[in-house]
Amino acid sequence: MSARASLRLPWVEKYRPRRLADMVGNASAIREIVAWLKSWEKGIPEKRALLIYGPPGVGKTTLVHVLAREFGYELIEMNASDLRRAEDIRRIARAADIGSLFGSRGRIIFFDEVDGMSGTEDRGGLAEIMEVIKETRIPIILAANDPWDPRFRPLRDLCKMVRMDRPRPSDIVKLLRRICLAEGIKADPAALRVIAENAEGDIRSAINDLEAIAEGRKVITVDDVRHLAKRNRQHDAFATLKMLFSARRCDQAKAILSQSLLDYDMLLQWIHENLPYQYKDPEELAKAYEALSKADMYFGRIVKTQNWGLLSYALEMMTAGVAMARKRPYRFVKYQFPQRILLMAKTKEVRRLREEICRRIASKCHVSRKCANAEVLPFLRVIFEGNPKMAAGIAKWLDLSEDMIRFIVGDRRKAKEIVKYMRK
Amino acid sequence: MYSWKAQVIVMSEILWTEKYRPRKLDEIIDQEEVVARLKQFVRERNIPHLLFAGPPGTGKTTAALCLAYELYGDRWRDNVLELNASDERGIQTIRARVKEYARTVALGEVPFKLIILDEADNMTSDAQQALRRIMELYTATARFCLIANYPSKIIEPIQSRCAFFRFQPLKKEHVIERLRYIAQQEGVEVTEDGLEAIWEVSEGDMRRAINTLQAAAALGRVDADAVYRVVGRAKPKEVAEMLALALKGNFLEARRKLRELMINYGLSGVDIIKQVHREIMSPRSALKIPEDVKVELADLAGEIEFRMVEGADDEIQLSAFLAKLALIGRRLYKG
Repeated sequence: MSARASLRLPWVEKYRPRRLADMVGNASAIREIVAWLKSWEKGIPEKRALLIYGPPGVGKTTLVHVLAREFGYELIEMNASDLRRAEDIRRIARAADIGSLFGSRGRIIFFDEVDGMSGTEDRGGLAEIMEVIKETRIPIILAANDPWDPRFRPLRDLCKMVRMDRPRPSDIVKLLRRICLAEGIKADPAALRVIAENAEGDIRSAINDLEAIAEGRKVITVDDVRHLAKRNRQHDAFATLKMLFSARRCDQAKAILSQSLLDYDMLLQWIHENLPYQYKDPEELAKAYEALSKADMYFGRIVKTQNWGLLSYALEMMTAGVAMARKRPYRFVKYQFPQRILLMAKTKEVRRLREEICRRIASKCHVSRKCANAEVLPFLRVIFEGNPKMAAGIAKWLDLSEDMIRFIVGDRRKAKEIVKYMRK
Repeated sequence: MYSWKAQVIVMSEILWTEKYRPRKLDEIIDQEEVVARLKQFVRERNIPHLLFAGPPGTGKTTAALCLAYELYGDRWRDNVLELNASDERGIQTIRARVKEYARTVALGEVPFKLIILDEADNMTSDAQQALRRIMELYTATARFCLIANYPSKIIEPIQSRCAFFRFQPLKKEHVIERLRYIAQQEGVEVTEDGLEAIWEVSEGDMRRAINTLQAAAALGRVDADAVYRVVGRAKPKEVAEMLALALKGNFLEARRKLRELMINYGLSGVDIIKQVHREIMSPRSALKIPEDVKVELADLAGEIEFRMVEGADDEIQLSAFLAKLALIGRRLYKG
């Protein structure tokens, strides 16, 4: 049994995309890349090289492999594990026959992780890549996490740049659902949502988490993923929060932004969750929340006006503003995973029921669902609790199910009584 | 003449706001000027695009529905589309449903259809732009009646295409008269102070007044006591609890209550801050906040509501409010 288990392919490998259709997220980036590759069929395009960039784990390398397979190219690849001196680059270029007018169709050169090229060991490598790009008659693709280092500027000018982003949690959920289906696992959608949110766009880590949780289980519930939420990114979040709350200068506080894997939105949630644990003094707490409130306002304005110039203010309020609220020495605190994310997942069913009740009220009472919830439902509750006969008539009129009636009165026995009157 | 009459007889127990919603323009109270102009339109069998503005519960939606009944008679269902923009505020709905409806020919004697867009001030600006084009293109076959609490949130080009109707706040004696009429019809015993209390808690909003009346009647005799009991039970008790906890300096528990309100009760941040405001200012609140501090807190609540409209995350904004409350609470209870 254990021997077989050890032979089993990890899910990350087992479910690695084989076709373009399997790719998760980044639809428009993929379209752009495919269009560029197809343009080679009509001759040499203006930009002979393509630079794909974006954070780790979004599928840059996978995409290149899938493209090669799908369009029938042979892939000649160099990554950070290869020595990439000028002569190594030249050797690869010769092998790929980049200058040939006839013979080399059907090949792609792929330089992965170019921002990982070392100045000393890979001496001259970058300059040679640029030479190769200028000469090439076959497509060249490069991938990088961060192409904005000044030394890449000339390279950027030569390349068509395409950005790949972290896929949205909803995209990752789709993938996880597919895997569960293939593995015969019944998973609560809310649990998959937690895994996806927790992975923050890193598909690899989402699949790994799912596999770890599914070990020895055929059913996955929200309770099963609760521990996970504490485990994974937590380490990074802990370190980030400690760094933030112990910062004594603004620049120290701001530095967390470049060191954390958490995206801004998630970081905001972590800070929000943990402010009251860190700041016990009401004055510190109020001051820190004032800064967070300002940060949120800037974020809101950015979303509404697309004025990204405001981003630095939002980030400063979120980091330096929060850190400078501290008056006393830093003390160690056990930080918590943002509870709201877990709460939302847990209460999904109840929220759906409420939404459905409000929809029915809205359709009868000429109000919006929001107004039904705030202005009508509270009075219904009073009536349902106090007068089952009147409640029965209204329930009939609104076509409410027994579940809905129980939700409104919050009591099984009273709900039964109302249903009894409805039958009369 | 109208099919609604049959409905009223069959349905004995429905919400009284619907049972007693006026079916004729003449039954609408306190909007004489609006009603007179609308009746003129009915006589001429022609209306421009309309924009109804005014506080909640003053008869805007009712007036639109009455206009529809009187214009189309029995055929109103064939010729009226009613949409609530808060629920379907996107450009997709406007493009798909409204456009599809607007372009087809009306049935009956009136040559156009009526599209009622309630809570139109909640439409995204993209959707409003799309709507503006549709209003221009299909004037021959469709007229729009837009309803809004805040007409300034409607884009200028739409405003300028509409005849503007401002609905006045209702007068106390007329609201009370109407409530008394309903109570009589329903055989409910009401006292003077009961009606006074409903007026006070409903803040001129007829929908809230009638809902309060019905809920109080569901419990028995409608006196002031019963009304305040209903109001106490209708609002989530967590609001007052949350405020008390925050003022006592227990921020963590206060924030837990806040999450209950947002998640379990499904309330928006603006819903909550409005209830908070009401609780703070209420003379009957158990919080016993000194009068000068009430003013300070009301100002804070206003600032937070403003920030929620500007910001992105209601829970963070309300938490910031609670943190300030904890600070004020310390000042209050220290000395």
